[in-house]
Amino acid sequence: MEYLIHILIITGIYIILTLSLNLIVGFTGLAALGHIAFACIAAYTSSLLALNLGISPWIGLLLGAILAAFLGMVIGLPSLRLKGDYLALATFGLGIIVYSIAKNWVSLTRGPMGLPGIPPFSLLGYEISSVWSYLILVLTFVLITYLAIRNITNSPFGRILKGIREDEIATLAMGKDVNKYKLIVFVVGAFFAGIAGSLYAHYIAFIDPSSFTVMESITVLLMVVFGGMGSLKGSIVGASILVVFPELLRFLGMPSSIAAPLRQMIYGLLLIILMVWRPQGLLGRFKFK
Amino acid sequence: MIQQLILNGIIAGSIYVLVALGFTIIYRTVKFFHFAHGVVFAAGAYFAYTFFILFNTNPLISFLLSVCLASLLGIAIDRFVYYPLRKNNAPNLVYLIASFGVFIFIQNLLQLIFGAQILTLRTGPIKEGHHILGAVITDIQILIIVVSFILFLLTYLFIQKSKIGNAIRAVSDDPIGARVVGIDSEKIILTAFAIGSAMAGVTGILISLETNIEPTMGLNAILKGMIASIIGGIGSIPGAILGGLFLGLAENLGIWKIQAGWKDAIAFGILIIFLLLKPSGITGIKTEKEQI
Repeated sequence: MEYLIHILIITGIYIILTLSLNLIVGFTGLAALGHIAFACIAAYTSSLLALNLGISPWIGLLLGAILAAFLGMVIGLPSLRLKGDYLALATFGLGIIVYSIAKNWVSLTRGPMGLPGIPPFSLLGYEISSVWSYLILVLTFVLITYLAIRNITNSPFGRILKGIREDEIATLAMGKDVNKYKLIVFVVGAFFAGIAGSLYAHYIAFIDPSSFTVMESITVLLMVVFGGMGSLKGSIVGASILVVFPELLRFLGMPSSIAAPLRQMIYGLLLIILMVWRPQGLLGRFKFK
Repeated sequence: MIQQLILNGIIAGSIYVLVALGFTIIYRTVKFFHFAHGVVFAAGAYFAYTFFILFNTNPLISFLLSVCLASLLGIAIDRFVYYPLRKNNAPNLVYLIASFGVFIFIQNLLQLIFGAQILTLRTGPIKEGHHILGAVITDIQILIIVVSFILFLLTYLFIQKSKIGNAIRAVSDDPIGARVVGIDSEKIILTAFAIGSAMAGVTGILISLETNIEPTMGLNAILKGMIASIIGGIGSIPGAILGGLFLGLAENLGIWKIQAGWKDAIAFGILIIFLLLKPSGITGIKTEKEQI
């Protein structure tokens, strides 16, 4: 049972990541491939603050998300000049740079040794350490993220984002400051991805750079594309299926030396199949341009 | 110290040049980032391992067989993944993402078959290198530099002088015009994949003589090869050479002052600076479909 709840918590964290990436990729049409970098920087921020300075994880969560949002602005800057696959490469590169910092700035992050013993959240004197209470915490944040991104995308602001995706020059011609909107989208997306990163760190209580590789970014992108570009329900469905389904491999009694590559192979195959036959995903209506 | 760093830079650069050359030949005909090129490179090394170590085949025959198989793998990727996308008129980004899919799939297939541990093609003990101008260089490293130079010359002559090379340039410059004069662009694309992937295979085998074989080796290779092509000028063969050597030297001279772990960060830092300031690269050739 505890294992089942654990899977649900991980699913919740991935849903937050997928929803926030969908805002950037699905709704605004910006090909961002470095999404896990935001989670990485926030996870390290709140963990280090809690471990070294004894700051409450709640404040760490907020500060981490703000720092991630700031990084979002930096990563968003290339999107003002680059499009399509070139933007994908630039954001991919920034993702690798962040990973490289986490791995090599040993005096701060302890590098590949990772940070053990990250304290859990506590509320009114009670520690949120049981899986049930943590599930409620994560689901609350999933709900907040969902509502926030739904409201953003259903507003006039969201219509401008879709305008940028469908025809950037027409949007520009209507007098909208396209660059400003692109940056805001990156900042908001990065903020929520940062929350997901902190939630992960305080749940697992241990982080190291290997949790934040570029392959993770591609996995999150797969979840967005699989569920459907520009579809919030799709993101929830996509992340859930792609987290839960590989776990079934374990129930079939496969050792992890087989299950781990097999899971990745399924992800790879799914990416190819989606791109060839259904680029709009399960529930989406929009394709890459 | 500085001599050794420059030499290391040239050796690393030669490897990047080889990856970038294969990548560039393919890019010229299809005009998208064939990311899975890196996994063809890794597969080449594993093919060689299978023939040479597991089946004890003669080194030369193992080498030729592996290069042929790598070439076939490249063709298969184009047939089964990119060809349907071409029929759909997919945008470049879709190719790139599908290519990531191919990469992840084959890399993990290799890991499933051969395991995640490090393998090697070396059979004898490691020989001491030669001392030249205050730097140490091994036989394999000399081989890498020589092969990369020969392959560069051959590729350049092939693209500039041969009939197929002419057709590749024609398809690259103007696909519709090429079709009008009777060039079968599908055949040219297959030829480009065959040659480019064979070069990836050669590079994979060379690097596994120098270092080791592991499933993840393709990622670093394609990232560096792609960065080299972009900073040299995407689609340009002299650009691939300049970009590869520039990247190799910059990384290795960079770690003179900074720790070695920062190589990747340096490489991507250079890429991002180029993308933002001079997206057409060192040689400055602008391709028609360039979106920047």
